[in-house]
Amino acid sequence: MTSVPVLSIVTWAPFVGALLIMFTARQRPLAVRLIAATATAISAALSVYVFLAFDPEAGFQFYEKLPLVPSLGVSYELGVDGLNVLLVLLTSIIIVAGVFASWTVTVRSQEFYALLLALVTGVYGVFVSLDLLVFFLFYELAVLPMYLLIGIWGSSGEVRPRGLFAWAFRATGVGTKEYAAMKLTLYLLFGSAFILVGIFALYVSAGNASFSFLDAEMTAFDPALQRWVFLAFYVGFGILAGIWPLHTWSPDGHASAPTAVSMLHAGVLMKLGAYGIVRLGIELLPRGASGWASLVGTIACLNIVYGALAAMAQRDLKYVIAYSSVSHMGIVMLGAATLTEAGLGGALFQMFAHGIMTGLFFALVGLVYEKAHSREIARMGGFGRAMPGIATAFTLAGLSSLGLPATAGFVAEFMTFLGAWRSAHPWWLFPAVAGTFLTAVYILRVAKQIFWAAAAPDFPPLADARGPEWVALALLSFVLVFFGMLPALALGPIESGLAPVLLRLLP
Amino acid sequence: MTPFALEIGVALLMLIVLGAGLIGGDGGRRRTGAITALGLVVLVAAAFTLRPWGSAGGGAFVSDRLARFAKRLFLGSTLIGVLASLSLPGEVFRRRATEYYLLLLSSLLGMMVLASARDLILLFVAFELMSIPLYALAGFRKREPEAVEAALKFFLVGTVSSAVMAYGLSFVYGTAATTALPGVARALEGQPPLLVFGLLAVLAGFGFKIAAFPFHMWVPDTYEAASTPFVAWLSVAPKAAGFVALFRIFLEGVGDQVTLWMPIIAALAAVTIVGGNLMALPQQNVKRLLAYSGIAHIGYMLVGLAAVSASGTAMVLFYLVAYVFANMGAFLVVEVVARSEGTEHLNGFRGLAQRSPLLAVAMLLFLLSLGGIPFVAGFWAKLYVLWAAAEAGLYWLVLLGAILTVVALFYYLVIARRMYIDPPTRPEPIPLAPTMALCVIVCVLGVVVLGLAPSPLVLAALRAASRLF
Repeated sequence: MTSVPVLSIVTWAPFVGALLIMFTARQRPLAVRLIAATATAISAALSVYVFLAFDPEAGFQFYEKLPLVPSLGVSYELGVDGLNVLLVLLTSIIIVAGVFASWTVTVRSQEFYALLLALVTGVYGVFVSLDLLVFFLFYELAVLPMYLLIGIWGSSGEVRPRGLFAWAFRATGVGTKEYAAMKLTLYLLFGSAFILVGIFALYVSAGNASFSFLDAEMTAFDPALQRWVFLAFYVGFGILAGIWPLHTWSPDGHASAPTAVSMLHAGVLMKLGAYGIVRLGIELLPRGASGWASLVGTIACLNIVYGALAAMAQRDLKYVIAYSSVSHMGIVMLGAATLTEAGLGGALFQMFAHGIMTGLFFALVGLVYEKAHSREIARMGGFGRAMPGIATAFTLAGLSSLGLPATAGFVAEFMTFLGAWRSAHPWWLFPAVAGTFLTAVYILRVAKQIFWAAAAPDFPPLADARGPEWVALALLSFVLVFFGMLPALALGPIESGLAPVLLRLLP
Repeated sequence: MTPFALEIGVALLMLIVLGAGLIGGDGGRRRTGAITALGLVVLVAAAFTLRPWGSAGGGAFVSDRLARFAKRLFLGSTLIGVLASLSLPGEVFRRRATEYYLLLLSSLLGMMVLASARDLILLFVAFELMSIPLYALAGFRKREPEAVEAALKFFLVGTVSSAVMAYGLSFVYGTAATTALPGVARALEGQPPLLVFGLLAVLAGFGFKIAAFPFHMWVPDTYEAASTPFVAWLSVAPKAAGFVALFRIFLEGVGDQVTLWMPIIAALAAVTIVGGNLMALPQQNVKRLLAYSGIAHIGYMLVGLAAVSASGTAMVLFYLVAYVFANMGAFLVVEVVARSEGTEHLNGFRGLAQRSPLLAVAMLLFLLSLGGIPFVAGFWAKLYVLWAAAEAGLYWLVLLGAILTVVALFYYLVIARRMYIDPPTRPEPIPLAPTMALCVIVCVLGVVVLGLAPSPLVLAALRAASRLF
């Protein structure tokens, strides 16, 4: 459409920033941060432009194509439609907030920002690429820097394991950052093995020697093939989306990761799994999707309830938020499993809403940890007086998380529930609603204990958020309320993106 | 141009090295090494420019695209190995430098003839010419008991495998009444059981040489005890030669009956991948770890062979090139670190990223390439091999191979963790000899360039493999 490769700039600007940081800003922490902020701001500005200029009538837009290996049908092919335009925006918001929220990283900050920016390029790339093999390349790029980011800059859990299996947890180092980094990396790469097999199966059976999504979309795959390839995609992407029982990497990883990485991972990367299921699973393989819908939906219900119950049992603040992500990703997967317009719309909106919300949560937890040097809920108390700004933002995120009207979370959950009621399995509604009730219990309890209860004795005087940190909090809070008030802004693109999906789902 | 041009070149180089060694005396170590390296540079250049087409000996010796591709690979990897050997400390050689380089070159000559052999007798002779110098080289540090033990183990396993192979070849000749590969293909049409048995024995013999899973036990001990630059070369060049010979026998020589072998080779690939990766997990010595991981890589190459297609064969060739750079590079970094730290234990790598950042980045790139991560060569290698298997319908093997890369990544990341996450024990950077630095840079370039632009090599490999089908 346009001659300027907007999506390429969005994708590669952070990578260029990473290279600049590696080669120019040696030992100059301020320059490192400024480069990181500039690179992500360029991506963010352009993705806002893409979002505003997005035409709901036009299918794939900002399309770019460059043959890479013509003989094998691999090309560098980018484009946005209604399914991914919102996710690109989400990535931009979270990474900008993430750079500001981790302004205080001082240990080896050059490598930290370089890896973080490389990771973001991978995330953008997965969302915008329309070539299945390039998609896979970006996926791996989005997974691997995580190992070093968590392993070097992460923090080990301070609440020691108790109970019957405590010895086993201690022996394997559960809760340490090294354990979490290895577990997360291996789980996600294990998932990518299934994705790779699925992509090959589509390539071979389509028989048109092309990895392009647009070509695959033209092909009607054999229903038997659709069934097992969908399962491969579901397992592969589902690991990333945190489906039960393959979710256990997520609480460990997110709790151990440094703030910006937790924000990006829980806020964006888990959505990447759900996006993969909708894009490759449901859109390309509608018969496979309808065949497995009842399993997917039932597991999603388990996710919602199990994640919420697990969050209630945690003593470490970061683990509470991490398990709440597992629970909320259940709502995304439930919406997708309904295969109805309302449900799928709710799923896509929930990806965005939960991304912003959990990004805000992890930013806040990071700030609290940095100031109080504790994540143990029982030790903390009465922080609301010392850090009113953080307390307000936390309460706001909590209210969105339990689905209060006028926040983005409400719209998403309402649409998903509607979809569940209209689907082939109306009983899915009950665990889903029970999940939001449980969310209210654990979120409000945590908020009350940390911010509003009597002041804990053993803390020095604490400060509120400062300078750059405010940028992160204000940005995320604003987006959360803005899209809660004006959901139509996001729902327009979502509906246009879902139209072809729903068309293909018709029997 | 005679089809023997490159082989004649290697033989001449051997004579020159021998002569230089005779007049050399005590200071000859560096000189013979430098002459060998220079000669190899000339030969590599010749391999890429000369066009020695044609065949000789009534089709027993051919210089086709496959042979030329393989010879470039052998010459290039030998050049890296020789350059890396230049920086070995003097006490390793003890005035025997000429022998070291001569043995290396005669083994290289064997590989080059092997790549061209289309006659079973020539193939066997070339195979022995390649193998016997390796036994001597493995025990080159003859005053160290481990080296002697490793050489003996290598020698015994190697000769037994040669005997098994010769036994199998006798059945092949007995049934087919010819030693020319096209004749064998014709004789196999009725699938006479004795011929099939003979080929099975030949496969077992090759299994030892390329270190496929049940025949792998000589590998870790030999790698651990022999000098590392030699091991870096041993881990790639003879393996590549073994694969080229496998292509000759089991694709060209078996002709249309090839489906007979597919399940056997697929099963061999599966157990090799699983076995190699699982045994690498508990290793604490980096050379042993790389030895077992190398076994797993052989398994991935067998996946490409099991696909029995032009693309499968080409993908194995691509894999071999990617593996040459990544594996040699990794072994050379191990050599540098081990010589400085005095230990081959994983702990020698602690905090390498803060002591020598560039060396750590190089090692990380090699490990990522071996692990099959995008934007470095190894990713395309694994991807292409699995792709060829998917085209052949071997989805179970694709899934198995893809899942076991996760296991492989675990032990590669353990090294990465030592380098990047653990704090260093000593602050000073690791000393790096200039020739060694050159080798590491060449390997890094190979890994990165192939990772970013795999197309030209893929096309070259496809052309090289096309004649077999």
